[in-house]
Amino acid sequence: MEVRIDVSKLEPCEPLERTLEAIQQLHPGDYLRVLHRREPHLLYPLLEKSGFTWQCRGDESGGYEVFIWKTDDLAAALAVESVSE
Amino acid sequence: MLNTATLSLDQAPPISIPFRYFLTAPLFGLAAALMLLINGPDLFLTRWSPLTLGLTHMITLGMLAMVMCGALLQMLPVIAGSPVPGVVAVGTFCHILITLGTGMLIFAFLSGSVVGEVVALGMMGGGVIVFFVAVTIALWRVKHVSATIVAIRLAVAALLITLLFGLLLGSGILGSLGFGDIASLVDVHLAWGLLGWIGLLLIGISYQVVPMFQVTPEYPPRLRRLLAPALFVGLLIWTLLMLGAISGVVNGWVAEVGMFILICGFVLYAVTTIRLQAQRKRRVPDITLLFWRTGMLFIPFCALIWIAGSVSPAIGNDPHYSLLLGVGLLLGVGVAVINGMLYKIVPFLSWFHLQNRQMSLMCMTVKVPNMKEFIPDKAARLQLYLFQASLLLTLAATLFPAWFAHLAGLFFLASNALLMKNLLLAMHRYRQTLHALSAYAESAQSSSDGVG
Repeated sequence: MEVRIDVSKLEPCEPLERTLEAIQQLHPGDYLRVLHRREPHLLYPLLEKSGFTWQCRGDESGGYEVFIWKTDDLAAALAVESVSE
Repeated sequence: MLNTATLSLDQAPPISIPFRYFLTAPLFGLAAALMLLINGPDLFLTRWSPLTLGLTHMITLGMLAMVMCGALLQMLPVIAGSPVPGVVAVGTFCHILITLGTGMLIFAFLSGSVVGEVVALGMMGGGVIVFFVAVTIALWRVKHVSATIVAIRLAVAALLITLLFGLLLGSGILGSLGFGDIASLVDVHLAWGLLGWIGLLLIGISYQVVPMFQVTPEYPPRLRRLLAPALFVGLLIWTLLMLGAISGVVNGWVAEVGMFILICGFVLYAVTTIRLQAQRKRRVPDITLLFWRTGMLFIPFCALIWIAGSVSPAIGNDPHYSLLLGVGLLLGVGVAVINGMLYKIVPFLSWFHLQNRQMSLMCMTVKVPNMKEFIPDKAARLQLYLFQASLLLTLAATLFPAWFAHLAGLFFLASNALLMKNLLLAMHRYRQTLHALSAYAESAQSSSDGVG
């Protein structure tokens, strides 16, 4: 299941805080879709440390969508693959 | 696009490196304020008095360059993906030399000591050159060269040119030149320091921090690409024109026209920034934004003063004119912007280092404070008001020194004392949380040893 958060109007470090809070709430099979106005490079090492994988892509409005899921959660990875195709 | 996909704290310096620079700046601010409080109107006689020169360098080197050097050492891995080589040694060495060199330079100005001046020039020269070489290596290694990196490269080159003119002026080898020519060379030194080093770095950093921290749209791509290189080339041409004017080859007004064009470039940057801030997506009052807005409004203000001084010899030759322009640029633009930036960079670095530590330990029982908890808005806002009051009083003191100079010193003292307190509070919260995380790590380690 997709969990979506929009952090595009928040100031640093709120986007990172909200994202890190949201990934703790993910259930097996869930992935997080983060809508952001910039590519959150600082988030990536933190995700890596917590055992999460991510995929970032630009959206039509010039912003970014970051898909995040637990690295060992195959169902979530497949769900991300199906929406990002 | 930033090249920070591989960013990690392993690349960034320990937090103590940038923080020592950030905490030294308000100390020089306090020293400058004390000087203003004690000497009062004597500081506003002419820009050439040793007292005024000492005060000027307390602000330019002790406050502005101090914060900018610390921020660059920290930011290069973040915004360029390129760490400064040997950052702990370089950061420690340059901090000591720039701090002691600035102190010694001020002592030399006040006492007239030749030995003090030689030692000061040696220390400043050594500190800035080591900083320049280390930062240049990092900038050289950047793979994806953004507009910000171009502006930083040019700003660092401008720092070296500022230093070279400073050393030339301080060395005494220009003794055979008349005062008018020396004054022109001082203007060249000043222009490279204020417009080149501070101005270009401010422009480059703005491309990143204004959209990121103030939640505004991006700067127009053409402005990002062209403005900093155009200003740097403009400064080079203006310098040649000034040197031409000194040697009698070029008419002085040609250099004035060159400076006018340069100033238009900075006004364009300021107006664009104010326009972007007006379009910000989140309408929550922000202290850093208010500091920056003060700085941005003072750029056109200073441009108008400069134009008035250039058009009217009566204004341009008045000693108050240079002092008003100097206060506007140094306090109104420089100190306003770096003070505001400290309120973002210090909480952000504290938060990010702690968050990283927390994630490494997977420790969710210790709460990392958010940015607003490191420095509460209320305390920062009070400091903003104190700073703005001190700025207005110092401007008034350039025109009516006897009435306002001591009062300006008092407010600047209060402003810097509160800035220092706010930064120390952030550091205290950082250390407190770090100790809690370390205690968690130790207890986790001892319980796993027990199980083992």
